[in-house]
Amino acid sequence: MNTTLSTPQSNLHRALPVIALLLAVVFVLYKTPRGEIRTGDYNLHAFSLLPSTADGRVKPLDTVARTSLQVISGVSEFKLEGKRKQPAIVWLADTMAKPELARTYPIFRIDDTGVLNLIGIKSHSRNRYSFNDILAHRDAFLKQVELASQVAPRERNLFQRHVMELWSHVQLFMSIQEMQYPYLVPPDQTRTEWRPMTQAVDMAKAHGQEEPAALLMSNILFKYQQDQPEEFNQAIVAYQNYLAANNPELAGRLAFEVFFNRLSPFYLCTILYMAVFVLAAFSFLFRANASSNWAQTLGRSAMWILLLTLAIHTFGLAARIYLQGRPPVTNLYSSAVFIGWGAVVLAILLELPFRLSIGTLVSSLIGFVTLIIAMNLAEGDTMEMMQAVLDSNFWLATHVIIITIGYSSTFLAGLLGVMYILGGTMTRMITPELDRVFARMVYGVICFSLLMSFTGTVLGGIWADQSWGRFWGWDPKENGAILIVLWNALILHARWGGMVRTRGIMVLAVFGNIITAWSWFGTNMLGVGLHSYGFMNAAFFWLAAFKMSQVGVILAGLLPLPLWKSFATHPTLEASAVEKPQA
Amino acid sequence: MMRKNLRKILAPIASLRLTVALFLMAMFLILAGTLAQVNQGIWEVIHTYFRSLFVWIPLQVFVPDQIKLPGYIPFLGGFAICGLLLINLIAGHVVRFRAGVKHIGMWMIHSGIILLIVGEIVTGLLAYEGNLSLRVGGSSNFTENLHAVELAIIDTSDEKVDKVTVVSQRLLEKAAWDERVIEHEELPASIKVNQWMGNSEMFTPGQAPPGLMPLATHGEARQFLVRSIPKISGVEGNQINIPTAVVTFFHNGQEIGRYLLSFYIDQPQTLIVGDKRYQVFLRLERRYKPYTIHLLKFTHEKYPGTETPRNFSSLVRLVDPAQNEDREVLIWMNNPLRYQGETFYQASYMPDGQGSILHVVDNPGWLIPYISCAVITLGMTIHFLISLVGFMRRSRR
Repeated sequence: MNTTLSTPQSNLHRALPVIALLLAVVFVLYKTPRGEIRTGDYNLHAFSLLPSTADGRVKPLDTVARTSLQVISGVSEFKLEGKRKQPAIVWLADTMAKPELARTYPIFRIDDTGVLNLIGIKSHSRNRYSFNDILAHRDAFLKQVELASQVAPRERNLFQRHVMELWSHVQLFMSIQEMQYPYLVPPDQTRTEWRPMTQAVDMAKAHGQEEPAALLMSNILFKYQQDQPEEFNQAIVAYQNYLAANNPELAGRLAFEVFFNRLSPFYLCTILYMAVFVLAAFSFLFRANASSNWAQTLGRSAMWILLLTLAIHTFGLAARIYLQGRPPVTNLYSSAVFIGWGAVVLAILLELPFRLSIGTLVSSLIGFVTLIIAMNLAEGDTMEMMQAVLDSNFWLATHVIIITIGYSSTFLAGLLGVMYILGGTMTRMITPELDRVFARMVYGVICFSLLMSFTGTVLGGIWADQSWGRFWGWDPKENGAILIVLWNALILHARWGGMVRTRGIMVLAVFGNIITAWSWFGTNMLGVGLHSYGFMNAAFFWLAAFKMSQVGVILAGLLPLPLWKSFATHPTLEASAVEKPQA
Repeated sequence: MMRKNLRKILAPIASLRLTVALFLMAMFLILAGTLAQVNQGIWEVIHTYFRSLFVWIPLQVFVPDQIKLPGYIPFLGGFAICGLLLINLIAGHVVRFRAGVKHIGMWMIHSGIILLIVGEIVTGLLAYEGNLSLRVGGSSNFTENLHAVELAIIDTSDEKVDKVTVVSQRLLEKAAWDERVIEHEELPASIKVNQWMGNSEMFTPGQAPPGLMPLATHGEARQFLVRSIPKISGVEGNQINIPTAVVTFFHNGQEIGRYLLSFYIDQPQTLIVGDKRYQVFLRLERRYKPYTIHLLKFTHEKYPGTETPRNFSSLVRLVDPAQNEDREVLIWMNNPLRYQGETFYQASYMPDGQGSILHVVDNPGWLIPYISCAVITLGMTIHFLISLVGFMRRSRR
């Protein structure tokens, strides 16, 4: 390298990580919600902050709007022909106060051609339809609902499932219109339970005694229906004052939830993880050229952005804990978010002693993929209530967390294995030095996985013994967990017995991905056992695809060594495999 | 010298290759035993796969039901694999392991695992699980085994006490299979089991599908029609099997009549032997207790606007005259009552919400997993910390 150039260049190398981080911060700030949602003169932002109860939880109307629209339509925004996208709260306000109008909104997502034919649609130019579209063919549709509902849920074929799915969406829509869902009337001095508006109205009719909260809320909707923005905004203020007098703490939490919804921290994280991945990948490629400083500069930039991303990811988790009042993992969605988080933390710890961008690369990939998985798992409100038997913060905070970290860590080892095998077979990048680093990283991570998966499984057993008197019931979820424990133990024993060396460990670690994926998702798809908290169809395809890809990597890992590009370049590699076992 | 020879003999048994092979076999068995639950009840799977020495695994479990795949793989059952692992592990300790602070973690892990396996075997052999169903205001002094029925013959001639003689499901099944007549001095009549159905469907004459013929000649339920159906699989959740037996009673070599006895029919039927009247019925296998439990109050909460249960709890009064015990206990989710080696868990409730179902477990080995898990986890943590220190040291170099 030319010494005269080193000064400006080293300044550049020093400045670049800072610039990268600043750009990331600016991006986050740009995406942070500011201002209020307004439609014309209507202060819909204030409307979105109003409390309601749905699916057993007190939440702002904003959340109800987003999750309901997401269930019906697949996305949490809606679009009218020739207009811009509109936030879900506009749809909710229209659905509640202007039923005739809302019935014309194309929001029902229908993909099944059989169902489309049913409601008289032959072409497939769009895939969202209005309530009126469906209403026009109600007899044909209801007949199919009637037929399908007589078949047991598990026995239904694809068409019947889609019919029932659309039926449940139609019912959701109607229950919002009929003021049955969400519950809009809060408890007061005379009643301790939330109630739907219809019930309050019936009560008022029967007893001639109107409740202030129901009255104030219906006034808001009435002004919205009458197209009186001024009065609408005033009505909201009146209701807010009433709420503040009765339940002063509530407003703060609701406002925070709306902020959380609008920020969508996990969505931000996916973008940032992607950026980290690109930077780390380039850093890794530059390593081949020893004379370049770029590997280090890019690696550092990637790490700084990664730390920022981790901070946002952590914020998202913390926000969910605060809002739900529960430890972070309560369902399949949150397990994906947490598995990603755990793997990112572990991979950063792994990066610290080596600084080779391996950890950064792997963590950004896991973070990105798990959050994408989470977004696809999100159906309706992801902060749902817990079944009575699962309602124990102590066990949720210990068993579930530890076992989920076990999943993270097993995936991390597997991904390092994938990297080693792909890098070794297809590139020359696995040098003897890197070979040793990979071997030690994967070994360490597998030891940690065994510790976590075992402890987590055992705590689960103790929980089971506490709640239904059976330490071990051989139910699919338990079996999935014990498979991970056994597999990690198997890898370690194979290594201690000298049965496998670095390459063998890597191949086994990749198989660990298949086992972990199976026990995370596959066991839910069996649909058996007390633990089956999620059941899905589309995920089946992706699970199979993931497993096939891992089998492909394993086959590549089993290629004869002379075919590995790295081994052809560094013939001393295999000799360096592992130290002899010490019992 | 002795020691050296011992080591030589044990070496192959102690080999890590065997350990790895056994791990693989255990994983395969667990996978098969999990997939089998799609079509088989979990209780049956546990007994055929995990609490057994040997199992024929049908190939069908590995493929979806739409594809028919005949054939079986012979395989070691859970007890056999655990036993071999125990031998391998103990031999390994004799051959390989040395004492020393550095290995203390390993020692703890392995002794904990031995304990864990022993605990599971104890549970498998000795644990008893039953249900205790109580209506609000009612009481009970027996538990019912959901997995087995018994034929009860009740002599009600005494005003004060009923005399009950029972024939277990195992005996009934055996008698159906080897066509022997069940005779016993306590039994007022001998019993021939003409047909045994592990699970069945019952019809009244009007609703029955064509082709079904009445099987019984006597008894209040003789007009019922029955057909055998496959047993409940693990997928079907809370449903239970409805066993049915067609039995013929004899008295002094004379046929009294053929009866249709089913778990479905919850009323006793009349059996006349000579000039004495008895009641017969097929009920869940009972175990009587020296104490009585009264249900004072049952609470069942749901989350507002949903069907998701939030909490259910039973306030019971426990009366044990032998122990001079009479007290009130609240049992709710995750908070069982432990009494005289038995544990009562809030399990479920009656469909009309007016009764509670407690799950009763009597497992003498219940404490073993707690101890072994504490030992193993501690051992793993120690071992992991020792390894981590080494790892950090090396990477700093």
